[in-house]
Amino acid sequence: MSANSWLATGNFHTTYKHEQNTFYTSLDRSVFTFFLILLFAWPIFYPLSNKYMLVTDNILIAIVAVMGLNLVTGFAGLISIGHAAFVGIGAYTVASFCRTLGADHVMVTHFWPVLIIFSGLFGAFFGALVGLPALRLKHLYLAIATLSFQMIFQWVINFMSFFNQGQTISVGRAFWLTGEIGRNQHYVFWYYIILTIVVLLGFGVRNLMKTRYGRCLIAVRDNDRAADAMGMNPGLTKVYAFALAGFFAGVAGALHAYLYRGVGFDSFTLKISVSYLAMAIVGGLGTLNGSFWGPVAIKLLDLQVEHLSEVAKQYLPSAMNVATALKPFTFGLVIVLFLMFEPRGIANWWRITKSYTKLWPFRY
Amino acid sequence: MAQLTISDVTLSFGGLKALSDVNMTIEPGLITSIIGPNGAGKTSMLNCISGFYHPTRGDIFYKDKKLTHASPHEVSNMGIARAFQNLELFSGLSVLDNLLLARHQNLKYGFLEAVVFYGKASRIEAENRAYVEDIIDFMELEPYRKSLVGNLSYGVQKKVEVARAMTLAPDILLLDEPMAGMNQEEKEDIVRFVMDIQKERQITVVLVEHDLGVVMDISDRIYVLDFGELIGSGTPEEVAGNPKVIEAYIGEG
Repeated sequence: MSANSWLATGNFHTTYKHEQNTFYTSLDRSVFTFFLILLFAWPIFYPLSNKYMLVTDNILIAIVAVMGLNLVTGFAGLISIGHAAFVGIGAYTVASFCRTLGADHVMVTHFWPVLIIFSGLFGAFFGALVGLPALRLKHLYLAIATLSFQMIFQWVINFMSFFNQGQTISVGRAFWLTGEIGRNQHYVFWYYIILTIVVLLGFGVRNLMKTRYGRCLIAVRDNDRAADAMGMNPGLTKVYAFALAGFFAGVAGALHAYLYRGVGFDSFTLKISVSYLAMAIVGGLGTLNGSFWGPVAIKLLDLQVEHLSEVAKQYLPSAMNVATALKPFTFGLVIVLFLMFEPRGIANWWRITKSYTKLWPFRY
Repeated sequence: MAQLTISDVTLSFGGLKALSDVNMTIEPGLITSIIGPNGAGKTSMLNCISGFYHPTRGDIFYKDKKLTHASPHEVSNMGIARAFQNLELFSGLSVLDNLLLARHQNLKYGFLEAVVFYGKASRIEAENRAYVEDIIDFMELEPYRKSLVGNLSYGVQKKVEVARAMTLAPDILLLDEPMAGMNQEEKEDIVRFVMDIQKERQITVVLVEHDLGVVMDISDRIYVLDFGELIGSGTPEEVAGNPKVIEAYIGEG
């Protein structure tokens, strides 16, 4: 019989079912629940301006995308430099519906949940397609293959008139049970939708990693020769990893399209791909919570740099464009510092903090 | 009825013949050893059986199924498991996770069930955990259950390697030098395990090993390879008396 369900001390797993639990102690579970309630409740008590709500939504979308990237690059060890293109596939799926049916067609405005899932599946399809070279290529060469996909994507969008040659394709306003989502509620509405999706996908990944569908990813990363001997098809597993990443990216892309009420080519360039990769590294590759830390850290850093350059502008001649220079500089610096001093990312700090508080006040 | 039939297998890399016209039959429930000097083609033979190499000529049959051109995961799904000579463990994972990974094909639940992780997937995973625990118990790995494989000593890692192959629930277990680089005590341990695997679990064992003392003691049948050719076979006594084998090992006298 367990001693005290609130403490880790004195509690042992007595069944294998118990060992599967996501939260081991009641304390863990209640802290998480409290945090989740806080996330859902704060916009009611502390409304932000549209600008900051947009930043918040943006972070959440990046979390969805980076969760996918973390599956393929972190867990399965396949470097993908084309992740923004997958996100673009999702966004342009929504855009294609707008182009063919019209931006305010019922399919777009009313059936957006269907469209988001469809975009995810379409992203997964392209993910699998791009993953096919993984059957033959390894490491850096595979990374180059994904890079070429990024280039092909950009080229196609830029030159096809169906996609408005990369210019913005507008997407209609979504409807909820209460009617059309107006300008004032738009960002808050999508905050709730994206947050729900993030929570669902987060638990999905957590569960997946406890099963054969998650373990095979790690097996392929650590030793694909042994994975083969253990009865997994390494080629198929790699394609599957890309498909998974494609799904997350597709969902993120569709959300992006709805949030901005438009799809433009600028949001899916190589630069964005690299920044997704940076978020995954800063957060911590191969960890689930890293997919949350990374986007939050990088996006908030971006915001702070913007503020800083606003202040600096007042004291410097206007010819010096501080913001343009400072943003890439800090971005690069943060990545280099993380690679040098904490390659395991912020997730490692979280791990250390957790084990420290677990033992406190004792050292070990 | 032989469990595994190797008929006229030739494996060549360019001009080099690693194996030439080798015939072997592996009988069920026995310990069959493949011995020979360095570079004789023992590991090549195992690689051919487990699908990492495909014979240039000749065929390999498991019961009636032909596995000459099967890939490693197809071979292991048929029930032929393999432990590697140079450790090929998932070194960043715990012993437990290594063993759970090997259960991959034995777990039958769908992708969506895995995502929801309620009911079927959860139940099967719990059963799976119990199965792995049984193997851990059998191989006496209890103290290392949760430790990272990369941090364990060489001897224990070898044991994990064998345990992982066992977890596949095979009919035939291919062991590639399970005792290489071990001290006397660890060697005796492994020998005991190999014999238990055969006797308690009724698994056919194919053993590639350099330690002739061990091989002569525990094998039911021995095949001797030299420069890719089969130079002798039979019971340990027959092989020990075979002049060709003595010549290959000791040299012309």
